[in-house]
Amino acid sequence: MIVTVLYSLVVGLVIISFVAIVRAYYGPTVLDRMVAMNVITTNVVIIILMFAYIDRSFYYIDVAFVFVIGAFIATLCILKLLREGHII
Amino acid sequence: MNKMVHHYIAIFFLFGGFFFLLVGVIGLLRLPDVYTRMHAMGKCDTLGAGLIVIALMILIGDITNITKLVLIGVMIATINPIITHLIAKTAYNRGTPMAEGSFLINDYVASQRRRRRSRVEVAKKGDENS
Repeated sequence: MIVTVLYSLVVGLVIISFVAIVRAYYGPTVLDRMVAMNVITTNVVIIILMFAYIDRSFYYIDVAFVFVIGAFIATLCILKLLREGHII
Repeated sequence: MNKMVHHYIAIFFLFGGFFFLLVGVIGLLRLPDVYTRMHAMGKCDTLGAGLIVIALMILIGDITNITKLVLIGVMIATINPIITHLIAKTAYNRGTPMAEGSFLINDYVASQRRRRRSRVEVAKKGDENS
């Protein structure tokens, strides 16, 4: 039962990510696209954690952790580029 | 029996988190402005991710993996507000237009520009006098 619920929630999260992609496509400014990318990042982390439980292979949790840190640094660099014109 | 109770509690938390994520994305799609979209994203996304991480903690039930999940929950709960704050600051500094009918009570950037201009004028007057 719980596995069925988790699979259906994974499908729902994928649909939510496509809705966020719609916003990233039509977004008038670049910051709208940043917001949509942040939503997609959170959804991907949650999907990785759910598959860690479905497959009983808990090393996926480390993958999700590294993904969170990488997305954070990427967003920080893009925002610094937008504010100041250079990264370093 | 005990395991079924855990599963029901976990399903409650899972659907709660999914509901909040759905509300955040609907706000992202329908609100008129960068700032309001960010308002919808920052809170609903953090709360939904936290609830789903709590549900997976209940489901997994192993102390090593629960520690890692706590770490991921803390990372999401600190990183998401930081990113939201930085996006708001960047949008405000770039002068992104607001939605129709909204207004500012205390415009920080405009007051800073005014103060800098008055300081420059005072410096020019001092040069002319000397």
